[in-house]
Amino acid sequence: MSTTDRRPVALRIAQRDLRGGLASARIFILCLALGVASIAGVGSVRQAIEVGMNREASIILGGDAELRFTYRYADEDERRFMAEIATAVSETVDFRSMAVVGDTRALTQVRGVDELWPLYGEAGTEPFVPPVEAFDARAEEPGALMDPILAERLDIVPGDRFVLGTQSFVLRALLIDEPDAGGSGFALGPRTVVPLWGLETSGLLAPGTLFETNYRLALPPDADLAQLEQTAEGRFPDRGIRWRDTRSPAPGVEEFVDRIGAFLILVGLAGLAVGGVGISASVRSYLEAKIATIATLRTLGAETRVIFAAYFLQILAMTAFGIALGLALGAALPVVLAPLIEARLPVPIDLAIYPRPLAEAALYGILAALIFTLWPLARTGHVRAASLYRQGIGLSGLPHWGYLMVLVLLTGALVGAAAFLSGSAFLALWVAAGVGMALAVLAVAGLILRSFARRVAPSIRNQPALRAALAAIGAPGSDAVSVVLSLGLGLWILATMGQVDANLRAAIARDLPQVAPSYFFVDIQRDQMPNFLERMDNEPTISRIDHAPLLRGVLTQINGRPAAEIAGEHWVLQGDRGLTYSAELPRDVGLVAGAWWSPDYDGPPLLSFAAEEAEEMGIGLGDEITVNVLGRDITAEIAALTDIDFSNAGIGFIMTFSPNALIGAPHTHMATIYIEEAAEAAILNDIGDAMPNVTAIRVRDAIDQVSDALRSLAAATSLGAAVTLLTGFVVLIGAAAAGDRARVKEAAVLKTLGATKAKILTSFALRSGFLGAAAGIIAVLAGALAGWAVLTQVMESSYRFAPVSAILIVAGGALLSLIAGLGFALRPLAVRPAPILRNQD
Amino acid sequence: MLALGQDLGPLSEDALARFRRKHMGVVFQSFHLIPTMTALENVAMPLEFAGAGDAFERARADLDAVGLGHRTGHYPSEMSGGEQQRVALARAVVARPEILLADEPTGNLDAANGAAVMDLILALQAEHGATLILVTHDAELAARCSETIQLADGRIAGDVTRDAAE
Repeated sequence: MSTTDRRPVALRIAQRDLRGGLASARIFILCLALGVASIAGVGSVRQAIEVGMNREASIILGGDAELRFTYRYADEDERRFMAEIATAVSETVDFRSMAVVGDTRALTQVRGVDELWPLYGEAGTEPFVPPVEAFDARAEEPGALMDPILAERLDIVPGDRFVLGTQSFVLRALLIDEPDAGGSGFALGPRTVVPLWGLETSGLLAPGTLFETNYRLALPPDADLAQLEQTAEGRFPDRGIRWRDTRSPAPGVEEFVDRIGAFLILVGLAGLAVGGVGISASVRSYLEAKIATIATLRTLGAETRVIFAAYFLQILAMTAFGIALGLALGAALPVVLAPLIEARLPVPIDLAIYPRPLAEAALYGILAALIFTLWPLARTGHVRAASLYRQGIGLSGLPHWGYLMVLVLLTGALVGAAAFLSGSAFLALWVAAGVGMALAVLAVAGLILRSFARRVAPSIRNQPALRAALAAIGAPGSDAVSVVLSLGLGLWILATMGQVDANLRAAIARDLPQVAPSYFFVDIQRDQMPNFLERMDNEPTISRIDHAPLLRGVLTQINGRPAAEIAGEHWVLQGDRGLTYSAELPRDVGLVAGAWWSPDYDGPPLLSFAAEEAEEMGIGLGDEITVNVLGRDITAEIAALTDIDFSNAGIGFIMTFSPNALIGAPHTHMATIYIEEAAEAAILNDIGDAMPNVTAIRVRDAIDQVSDALRSLAAATSLGAAVTLLTGFVVLIGAAAAGDRARVKEAAVLKTLGATKAKILTSFALRSGFLGAAAGIIAVLAGALAGWAVLTQVMESSYRFAPVSAILIVAGGALLSLIAGLGFALRPLAVRPAPILRNQD
Repeated sequence: MLALGQDLGPLSEDALARFRRKHMGVVFQSFHLIPTMTALENVAMPLEFAGAGDAFERARADLDAVGLGHRTGHYPSEMSGGEQQRVALARAVVARPEILLADEPTGNLDAANGAAVMDLILALQAEHGATLILVTHDAELAARCSETIQLADGRIAGDVTRDAAE
């Protein structure tokens, strides 16, 4: 040891003290590492998706930029513009139709492509056939590529034929990888790709049919995308053209990934909060073991600040170790699980180690560690030299107000960082408030549980094991609060998910079929409507049929001003909406305000608007709405506000116009039918044969697809909750380990009083089981309340308590607590009482 | 309570720590060495708190003086009770305090080790000229001090002053 050691004395003490190793800080390190790992993992995946999407933006979009038109092709002027700015233009058309093989029909999302498709990337096919060859215009029959799922549904293999509309196609190959799939919107059926020339004779793209055309542009390398977008909008205002480019190739996917990523990071933070309970307890027990050392340092002349600094440095070292472990895990897991993650995402993903999400996770980790350690650390100042003589004097009392201020500032910094970095400040603040409130509720519930056990225990007669268990739960310093806190939050989230999921499933499986139609028919041409209705009217198995004209349009202006200025980013303004017209108030639609026009009304165009959405958008009776339909602006005044019920999945329009406003525009009709399942096939075949252009969408299939999407959201949330629960379990193990000495003494005393090992074990098991089950019951009650709120207030659905999920949650809580508790019950059972009690004396 | 002319009653815990650092060395019955520090580091600690640049040289010299020059790198758990108490003694005197407080310093030691430690305490006290305040139940040990104050139930029950040569 040299005299030149000029490091601060606190650092020297810290370094020497850490020679004891970090074994006693295992729980601290593990809790912190788990929280940091989950945040780093989610952040890394989010970044990987962003990088992947940016790298392959042109492939996902199908070009450097895209102009999208709703059920029309570009006109001469628009084509000229595209040719001017692009080095190549590829035209594709996208619509739904029925693929038919004999009597088998299946819904498919068709993409008609020109010879340039795909402009970027390559289509993966099985067997390998280049698109130019598959779609060769010199062939007798047009070729096609098809999603293997659809081919299997139709029972065809490459070389077989199928029909779209009135045109037969030869399946050339199965479409394994559609390069521009990520940029497409929501599709109800699997993909079929056919050449545009093959569609000309299919009868599927008549005026008014629901289709969209996409013009993919290859741009010069120095193209200024923002400038070009502005030019396009300036040159073709009010034509309903939508521009997209590689700056955001798949906005839907990006938004989804962003939202779910932000949400999961916030769930990770909730996990860190639960871990914080363990961190705090672990630091407290670490420092309690150091009281003699601190008191000795006091006698040798150490001041409060030196002692605080020495232990603060030790906590920093543990924090650094925990964060490093968490970052290593969080960075490695996504890379290790890459094949699994890649298979589940519709977009390319570049899994690698990214510094930004790791730095973000480290920041959260540092802040959480500081918040949860500052309180016990601050109390090291309370340790006096006299503690060497009096047991029990130590880390108690309220820290100095300065520390409390720092604690408040650190918590503010953590919430602020989450709000700023998650990219969703609103969500972050809600989650922070929610987690804070949840932890407070759980702490209070834990205290109530303790008080309840204390009151009940004395009334138990002749069951000493049970009485001892309840007495232990009710005793001062019992585990009740820490068990409820550590398991409660994870179980609460799972319980909420369980309640919401069970109710949604029930609604879809049980309630919806009673009110929802069986089929939607779209693209029924106006001249086909009489035949269609006649066929349906003659079918006794159909209990009800509804139909309406269907157009699509974009709401562009409100009272002559851009709609976004009035209604912000309301969903009604996002993309195009279905529009209809009706002479009379439609069935199932309630009039909330205003008056419906007379059946023969022929004045200035009027419309009815859904009352709830109108209120959200800040518009009402008398306001003028402009919609762009097929590139033409149509302005009408709101004459009525209506109450639309979307819950039955039937026909429901936000905007219904007076007939004179829209009847002149090219359009088709849609219909819904309620039919007995056994009669479905015959009707579908009849309609398919007579009207091959009409597309039938099975409502159940559509709902299944939506519920699949919801289920993956639920699965992601459950995964987050599972990490929170795992952290809670680690906290429990920490608590059980800390209580080991007390249990050894308790077992020794009970043995001297005549308790057998079995009795003692039963008592310990009951105690752990009760506490875990109680945490589960509290979580179920809170989850039921949250589930009720989500279902009735957010989803406007009904709520019924789901008992199966509740039982699983309670049993899960009991089991976790039991495992953690019993793991530490064996040593106390094995020790002989004499040496223990002698040492106590 | 007055010590070295200073009233200790109103002093804060930090002020007391500074007072001990400057003026006092303490030897405990159960040694209270810091388990994660070597003998040398334990002894150097008071000097380090005082900011002495030669803390380790002086600590080594005092360990030599108590006969433990060969055990400087050992941890408390690697030493016998007698050795631990000698380290504690070196730690108590290393900063040359005016007051040396020894609380039952031989209470946890066998007779031979106890006697050796007591000889050492008295020798060091004589060498450094500190005031030794020894708390003990051992009348024989008390008799080796220049003044004995007897306490019973927290009150002074007797006070015997002896000649230094006695």
